[in-house]
Amino acid sequence: MMNKTTVVFFLFTVVFLFIVIAFEGCQTKTERLTKENTIIFALSGDISILNPILSSDSASSAVEGFIFSGLTKINENLEIVPDIAKSWEIKNGGKEYIFYLRDDVYWHDGEKLTSYDVKFTFDSILNPKVNSVRRGDYIIDGVPIKFETDGPHIFKVILPKPFAPILSRMGIGILPKHLLFDKDLNTAEFNTKPIGSGPFMFKEWIKSERVVLEKNPKYFDGPPKISGIIYKIIPDENARFVALESGQVDVSDIPPKDFNRAKKLKNCNVFEYDSLVYVYLGFNLKNEIFSDIRVRQALAYATDKTQLLNLIFRGLAKPAFGPMSPVSSMFESDTEKYNFDLKKANAILDEAGWILGSDVIREKNGKKLEFTILVNQGNKEREKAAVILQWQYKKIGAKVNIRLMEWSSLVKKLNSARKDFDSVIIGWSLGIDPDSYSIWHSSQYPYGLNFIGFSDPTVDRLLEEGRTTIDFNQRKRIYSQIQKIIAYQQPYIFLWYPKSLVAVSKKIHGLSKPGPAGLFVNIENVYISKDEQGD
Amino acid sequence: MLVKFLKKLAVLIPMVFGISLISFFIIHLAPGDPTALFVDPNIDPKELLRIKANWGLDKPIIIQFFYWLKNIIRGDFGIAYLYNRPVLELILERIPATLLLMGTAFIIILLISIFFGVYSAYKKDSFLDKIVSILSFIGMSLPSFWVGLMLILIFSVELNILPSSGFSNPLLSTSPIYLRIYDIFLHLILPVSTMVIVGFAGLTRYIRSTTIEVLKQNYIRTARAKGLPENIVLFKHALRNSLLPLITIVGMSLPDLFAGAFIIETIFGWPGMGRLGVSAVFSRNYPLIMGIVFISSVLILLGNAFADLLYLIADPRIRIDEND
Amino acid sequence: MKMIKKLKDFLAFENKASQFALIFIILLIFAALFAPLLCRYNPAELGTESLLPPSFNHFFGTDDFGRDIFSRILYGARISLSVGFIAVAISVIVGFLFGIISGFFGGWIDFLIMRFVDVMLSFPSIFLILSIQAMFTPNIYNVVFVIGLTSWMGVARLVRAEVLSVKERPFVEAAKVLGLPTKNILFRHILPNVIEPVLVAATIGMAGAILTESALSFLGLGVQPPLSSWGNMLQDSQAYLRDAPWMAIIPGFFIFITVLCIYLIGEGIKEKIQK
Repeated sequence: MMNKTTVVFFLFTVVFLFIVIAFEGCQTKTERLTKENTIIFALSGDISILNPILSSDSASSAVEGFIFSGLTKINENLEIVPDIAKSWEIKNGGKEYIFYLRDDVYWHDGEKLTSYDVKFTFDSILNPKVNSVRRGDYIIDGVPIKFETDGPHIFKVILPKPFAPILSRMGIGILPKHLLFDKDLNTAEFNTKPIGSGPFMFKEWIKSERVVLEKNPKYFDGPPKISGIIYKIIPDENARFVALESGQVDVSDIPPKDFNRAKKLKNCNVFEYDSLVYVYLGFNLKNEIFSDIRVRQALAYATDKTQLLNLIFRGLAKPAFGPMSPVSSMFESDTEKYNFDLKKANAILDEAGWILGSDVIREKNGKKLEFTILVNQGNKEREKAAVILQWQYKKIGAKVNIRLMEWSSLVKKLNSARKDFDSVIIGWSLGIDPDSYSIWHSSQYPYGLNFIGFSDPTVDRLLEEGRTTIDFNQRKRIYSQIQKIIAYQQPYIFLWYPKSLVAVSKKIHGLSKPGPAGLFVNIENVYISKDEQGD
Repeated sequence: MLVKFLKKLAVLIPMVFGISLISFFIIHLAPGDPTALFVDPNIDPKELLRIKANWGLDKPIIIQFFYWLKNIIRGDFGIAYLYNRPVLELILERIPATLLLMGTAFIIILLISIFFGVYSAYKKDSFLDKIVSILSFIGMSLPSFWVGLMLILIFSVELNILPSSGFSNPLLSTSPIYLRIYDIFLHLILPVSTMVIVGFAGLTRYIRSTTIEVLKQNYIRTARAKGLPENIVLFKHALRNSLLPLITIVGMSLPDLFAGAFIIETIFGWPGMGRLGVSAVFSRNYPLIMGIVFISSVLILLGNAFADLLYLIADPRIRIDEND
Repeated sequence: MKMIKKLKDFLAFENKASQFALIFIILLIFAALFAPLLCRYNPAELGTESLLPPSFNHFFGTDDFGRDIFSRILYGARISLSVGFIAVAISVIVGFLFGIISGFFGGWIDFLIMRFVDVMLSFPSIFLILSIQAMFTPNIYNVVFVIGLTSWMGVARLVRAEVLSVKERPFVEAAKVLGLPTKNILFRHILPNVIEPVLVAATIGMAGAILTESALSFLGLGVQPPLSSWGNMLQDSQAYLRDAPWMAIIPGFFIFITVLCIYLIGEGIKEKIQK
């Protein structure tokens, strides 16, 4: 006779198997992606959106880069080369660009890509109803660029003035008009289920878990050699390293402290290269504490970058002092450095009326010198920087609170209209053109990338001039001045230029030359092979 | 018996009401714009108006509560930020994973507790009993996240025999089902082990003490006097009686199991409700947070009710009453 | 002399383990109280020598910021012990109040309060705590408060049961007839009976509070830097499991041993009651 306990056990087992099977059944099935034909990337934070004109973070851009194509793209030497446009002409003294599009580009849903799609994309960026942070990139001195078509394969860009960055701005991913013309781009379902024209097609995005791409067999430059790409979202850098070691992911960034250990891994090659990134502590300039330049200067003097970088990187990063990477050809090294000087820092604050209270925190007019630093949770280097700065600023009587936030919600907060934050440790991944109009121009607040509210009329003028000057040396002078002013003003405390530290599984070949463009520039040439050839 | 059954069910309703009341109260502790509790406030203004109407946000707070109740009953907990999907949908997606983790851990804990609890009661004060006692104290005092880290270090990193995170290998999505089940099983081992190590102690000690009480009873002496083999005495008579109060205890340990799942899921990257909750907290995703609090409370309530029901069915004394 | 003997009796446990546990906790309390005197280094001070193993200079080594771990452990003890005590104090006071009111007044009030207790027991407290931390900036005060407010239910039930049993006794009826204030009587008879089970519940509560606080700090939602809690020390140690395992082993061990000792003290008290 069946014992009651046995019955209960049996029921439980059945219920479990049921749950397991039901769960598996709910997930979408992917094509036969195996270790031999798929590359698995580890991502440190979830992507926020898959629409190139709406995204503003590098995780999303990286994925979009494989799904969408632009008129132009960057090669491993940081040069601009054709993508959808097979060639172009510059006319009318640099005020007119004519792009001749390829005839063999198809959307992932089979439709043909035409110049009307290109016009639709750029018009959407300029459309004030669309929340694109890139709009500023396409407006020169208040006049939007005009985009025209001349038949399905000719696209014209009419500029009010010659515009130096234009070619690099033509690399933005193109959106399909036929799928979006009647939709609200801000909320379209497309943003989570995109259709592009790039070498990989979107397959699925399970929030906070993974993104799966499959090869586009009809890609105009030839189908990719691998069948698919999977992005596994692993916010914890330790877990990423473990996943790399055990082969659960093929590509991952390496934390500086693990760099030496990574070099000993048997299943990976390790790469170290410069990047166009800088990390900074950004101040909300509308905050009454930070609107006074003296406070920013004092904090800058109180920042011991040597100690900071030593504790975090042990040599794998260089201190930053201004808004441009030394890799850039227009980098100006002669800027105000605010070298570590505690006495000066204290003196400035004393003079500015911030008196040390009995609790060792400075006060002025009843307001304490206390603020919060936002950091994205999971980026250990930035988290550590926050703790170090908290200690360093304590020495001049400032109280720092640290708040960790998940990446995509941090990005959202900075981009939202309310901007309720005090300061944030975050980085910029710069483009190859020195134009940083959207970051520093006063018009780019609150809807551009100037989320701190920086506003300096001289810089505004110089930014506009810099974009519309074509001569290299002239531009260099202009940008040198911009860097000097910004470095003096310290709207950010510039912290460091990180080196890119990436480990790639030895089975992956066809990588591009290590450099700021990354290792996967020509993704369609990347292939997987068990042979251990160097490359 | 039916009457008792119905009475138990009837108590559920005010309990759920109570949970709703408390959840509602907590939600409104949050500073800032109340629309932020139900949807991302940075959306289309037309949508915002619709949300305001739907949740009665321009009405006095008492009325708001009833709007809230009305929506909850229909399963509408608002739209989660970032995911931009209804909260209930997101949670339901994640429940199976959490149930799988909790359920497996729970069954193993149950088996271990019953076995060791009964035997150490039986061999009270013996060496075995002492060892079980020491292990129990150790288990209760270990912080779960520490145990989890140590296990990852040993088995995933050093020995590389078990995966350290995730639910399953995405590459296996199209493989035959037995391979997928095996893969999930591998991913389950470390998190479940952590939960078991930290969770077996309480139940084991409880079973031990109830069994000790039972073994002192008269009917045990009778059974022994009748010449029944020890096995049957232990497992048929003693166990059945000490198991009854166990069912209620099981219900009461549900909240702890859920709480443990939160942390374990985070360490092991297990895609369940706990991890969803923790990341919702870090992204201040209020609609999602509130949905999780409410639903997990209701689940615990249902678990307790289920336990009560089982008790009713299992307790022979109650059935005897009915026959009067 | 009598006072000292009473104290000794109170503190003596039959069970050797419980005795040692009590000694350890008392030592820990002293160490925490006198932390500034015992520590050579400021626990938040960044140093240049990071990830040093335990040595004469640094008893427990240094962490990734070059901070002295021994100092951080002692200051962490302050956090854990104060969170433990205060949270438990809150839960005992709240539980006591609810228990007395429920038992004394009976009827509807009792029914409502007990249902409230049931509902609160259904809430996984960690969820509640997490949501509160989400809405406000996490800090140690929130943590203590919320832990206290979500763990009073056991004490409430205990106290209520005691009140109910005392209420039934004949001398209470007699006192009522005689016109003596029942409240006084109840207090005089409830308190002594209730102290010991509540103490046991308090030890369990304290252990739980310490575990909860360290879990919260581990997740980043509890004690914030620069304060060092054993929980947030474990969070920092995750990245260095292989380079500097002592960073993970030591704080985890302290949490473990403190909680264990508290449980053992509870066991000791339980045994004393049962005599």
